[in-house]
Amino acid sequence: MAQASAAGQVPEQRRDRKIFVWIAFVGAAVALLLLASQAISALDTFSESWNLGLHEELNELKRWVVVNRNSHPLFVFFFEPLSSFIDFFLRRVEAFILWVPWLIVVLAVFLFAERLRGLALALIVTACLFFMGLFGLWEESMQTLALMVTAVLFALAVGIPLGIWSAQNDRVEQFLRPILDAMQTMPAFVYLIPVLLFFGVARVPSIIATVIYAIPPAIRMTSLGLRSVSEDVLEAATAFGATDRQILRQVKLPLAMPMITVGINQTIMMALSIVVIAALIGAGGLGDVVLKSLRRLQVGQALEAGLAIVLMAILLDRLSAALVQGERYSQPQYQGFRLFSEKQRGNRVVEWIERRINRLYVLFRAASDWLTERVRPAFRRKEGFLSDRWLNNHAHWLIPVLVLTVLAILLRLVGMHSFSNLLRLDISQPVDSLVQWMQVNLYNIGDSGIGTGPLRDFLIIYVFQPLEAFLTEQLPWTVVLFVFVFIAYLAGGWRLALSIFVLTVLIGLLGMWSFAMDTLGQTLVAVVICLVIGIPLGIWAAHNDRVDQAIRPILDFLQTIPIFVYLVPVIMLLGTGSVAGLIAAILYAVVPVVRLTNSGIRGVDKSCLESAESFGCTRWQTLTTVELPLAFPSIMLGINQTTMMVLAMVIIAGLVGATGLGLEVYQGFANDNLGRSVEAGLAIVLMAIVIDRITQQLAAKAAAAANVEV
Amino acid sequence: MSKVKLHNIWKIFGPNPKYVLESIDPEATPSEIMAETGHVVAVRDVTLDIGKGEIFVVMGLSGSGKSTLVRCLSRLIEPTSGQVIIDDADVTAMDEAELRNLRRHTVSMVFQRFGLFPHRRIIDNVGYGLEVQGVKARDRRTKAHDMLGLVGLRGWENHYPHELSGGMQQRVGLARALAVDPEIMLCDEPFSALDPLIRRDMQDELLNLQQSLHKTIIFITHDFLEAIKLGERIAIMKDGEIVQIGTAQQIVAHPVDDYVLKFTEDVPRAKVLTAETIMNPVEGQARPSGDTVPFDTTLEKLIPRISASNGLLSVVDEQGTVIGVLDRQTVLVALGEAT
Repeated sequence: MAQASAAGQVPEQRRDRKIFVWIAFVGAAVALLLLASQAISALDTFSESWNLGLHEELNELKRWVVVNRNSHPLFVFFFEPLSSFIDFFLRRVEAFILWVPWLIVVLAVFLFAERLRGLALALIVTACLFFMGLFGLWEESMQTLALMVTAVLFALAVGIPLGIWSAQNDRVEQFLRPILDAMQTMPAFVYLIPVLLFFGVARVPSIIATVIYAIPPAIRMTSLGLRSVSEDVLEAATAFGATDRQILRQVKLPLAMPMITVGINQTIMMALSIVVIAALIGAGGLGDVVLKSLRRLQVGQALEAGLAIVLMAILLDRLSAALVQGERYSQPQYQGFRLFSEKQRGNRVVEWIERRINRLYVLFRAASDWLTERVRPAFRRKEGFLSDRWLNNHAHWLIPVLVLTVLAILLRLVGMHSFSNLLRLDISQPVDSLVQWMQVNLYNIGDSGIGTGPLRDFLIIYVFQPLEAFLTEQLPWTVVLFVFVFIAYLAGGWRLALSIFVLTVLIGLLGMWSFAMDTLGQTLVAVVICLVIGIPLGIWAAHNDRVDQAIRPILDFLQTIPIFVYLVPVIMLLGTGSVAGLIAAILYAVVPVVRLTNSGIRGVDKSCLESAESFGCTRWQTLTTVELPLAFPSIMLGINQTTMMVLAMVIIAGLVGATGLGLEVYQGFANDNLGRSVEAGLAIVLMAIVIDRITQQLAAKAAAAANVEV
Repeated sequence: MSKVKLHNIWKIFGPNPKYVLESIDPEATPSEIMAETGHVVAVRDVTLDIGKGEIFVVMGLSGSGKSTLVRCLSRLIEPTSGQVIIDDADVTAMDEAELRNLRRHTVSMVFQRFGLFPHRRIIDNVGYGLEVQGVKARDRRTKAHDMLGLVGLRGWENHYPHELSGGMQQRVGLARALAVDPEIMLCDEPFSALDPLIRRDMQDELLNLQQSLHKTIIFITHDFLEAIKLGERIAIMKDGEIVQIGTAQQIVAHPVDDYVLKFTEDVPRAKVLTAETIMNPVEGQARPSGDTVPFDTTLEKLIPRISASNGLLSVVDEQGTVIGVLDRQTVLVALGEAT
């Protein structure tokens, strides 16, 4: 007995001693660095003389591009043709969408959504479209839609074949995977910089940046979907002598379709978030309205456009998500319109409404059947295109398309194609006066020291400025570097530590050290607040189904909103600057940590909970000894995602005056100093990779330690 | 007349199977080979000769290599060495196009986990083999419809697989295999995933179909009762090798080793053993003494006969020639071993 317990104590003691040694080592190293930096200033502040001076060469390159745009073969035979092809395509799409009378667009979307998922969805998406018109932003919305259609089509046309290739070929997969990983860590904003260099300011570079940014999910999900088709089914197909091609077309692609549509949905949402930001480099559309009104501080107008973007996001997300959920049932018997769920059966009002709508539908159906009957005898073919059977099978979409086309031409002829000015819901003026009221009344409520103004001042004076001063001035850069490298070593060993060392020093060599520290400080503050809010909320939601159900739609909604739009309401309250960026970052980035804490705790094995209970654990004990340790890997993953999202927002907040790397990029744009922008952009990428690698390794390590798969 | 011949088929899984094949110690057990080389010997030197129109059962525990063996036949798994001959054609020498042709027209397969296509309606599942061949939509629908009638699933054409029960799904699998009108059917434990009662129905159905179709069927199972019910001949596999081949009676009466004996223990011997397997054979011409019984009378039916006789029965073949005699003691001993 005694021996056993003594033997049990030994490793425990050793571990304690090991931790003690580590702490002593870190303390000594930091103290040494602090002392050394007092003596040697090169260790204290990152010397300007080490600046690589990349911006000068880049500006040189930019000038070279401008000069050679019309002569160098790279432009004449590659960039120019590509550019004019995209431009041609975009113009056609936009011209078409703007040609179609607004009523027809609304009707077409309504009918499409109704067929896809029923009346409820149809009403939601139609309302979205309608409100875009009501805000007086129809044309801008359709411009954004045209950009989206073009960018998404290009992204899918490249992404899906690449995904297929990478599913069929392991080498391609191995080659693409790290590239896609890297692409997904980079903030959207950064994608705009290199295209500017080669294409200049216009709509085409926006499309190209969007395609590049939005393509990873299309590739990834296609490959994943194809690869996850069950071996049984593939073997059966092979046993019947199907060729590889036949297997791909008849078996793999149809079975991978749900996954591929998930990829399409993600591609669409990513494309929207960047199409909006691309207003910065001249994409036009709704993003442009937001940007311009923000510059002029017309918050009301910015809010209208921001809302229109949110509506567009909801519209596109709901529609493409409905494609995903489409399940196969054997007999698609039409049951008539059902506006409300089964539960509402027997409610007289509901049934009355449904009967009316159903009557309309029956009428429409009869009309289309009548038309089909008239049209059919004209075609006497037995099989294939335009035969009897073909027409019968395809009547469900042929008829509406025909009717809508005719209607569109008619409306065009009578000139009723643009959204009427009479239908105008102006919220910009009330919002502007609300903002004014808030600025007057909420700034400092009754001089009590409570209000948005004191909050802002407090955050700036007591949090941001000291933190920034601490990170950039008081703390020698070598200490920051040491801490990064040390954490990297703990998380992933020497190799990770070495790569983090190189990447971090590179940030300094770009001449971006102090800006990076500023951004880092804001990121840290926002992440800490996100965790303080998000983890308890996630725990609460995991233990309480009501809370879970209540916050789920809110989280869904927060995740649908494009990153840029968050800034608008925040500015209403807090004005421009880093504080607005901070609040926007918290709203934007709190979602994953809540989600993954919730799902991590809910995913804890029920038998573990049962045994904890059987030992008489209190709820607190169960939480701390069983649930949190087992959910820890999942929470770490949430922290990783949250951190990356905070970083993305802190950078975009440069647009509204938040200091740091984002602002540097933006000022580079504004001052025609693209080299500076690229430097700052590279620093952002480096920082994103550093933070992502470290947090992801910590998550992986946590998962390995808990023997849990995330 | 032989339809399928396997000559010295080997299948070794691992990074360097050819090398292991050459250096293999004929005495070594699979676990020794595994420990020594890191390779798995799944099929070990199997030679078989399967007749046309025969139901040939390959029986063994899981991991004995039977599924691998049957996949080597149409090269769904490439054998490491050996030869597969179907109708005088060397399957192992075929190029990809020839092989595909063989799979499309000659050999079709029924799978343990059905292998149905979840995204296709039942009718399109059954017509899949024809579609791959390039048969026109209308023709393959007609054929698939007929096949569904054959397996008793008419009316389910437009449903999806997940809407059917397991037994019905396997009927679809069967119909799909039959739709291409193959000469050879490979059945890889087709009924193992089904409930016992449904399994029995499906076995009866297969036997029924076979009476009119006369396919060459190679049937894999781990259930010995299923094997003796379906198989005209049975091959028993252990560790990748075939340890015994014979009819059900031969195996039950004379198991070659303890491994085979264990399978036969649960068998109702009175229903399997026949007069021929337990009789004392007689040499040359002999006159019948006492009553005569046909050679294929089961033990079960012999008991009332022998108790009604004077204690001696003569066993006659199809021509009525006496081939052996039975006395009470022999019958009782055979029965005694049964219990």
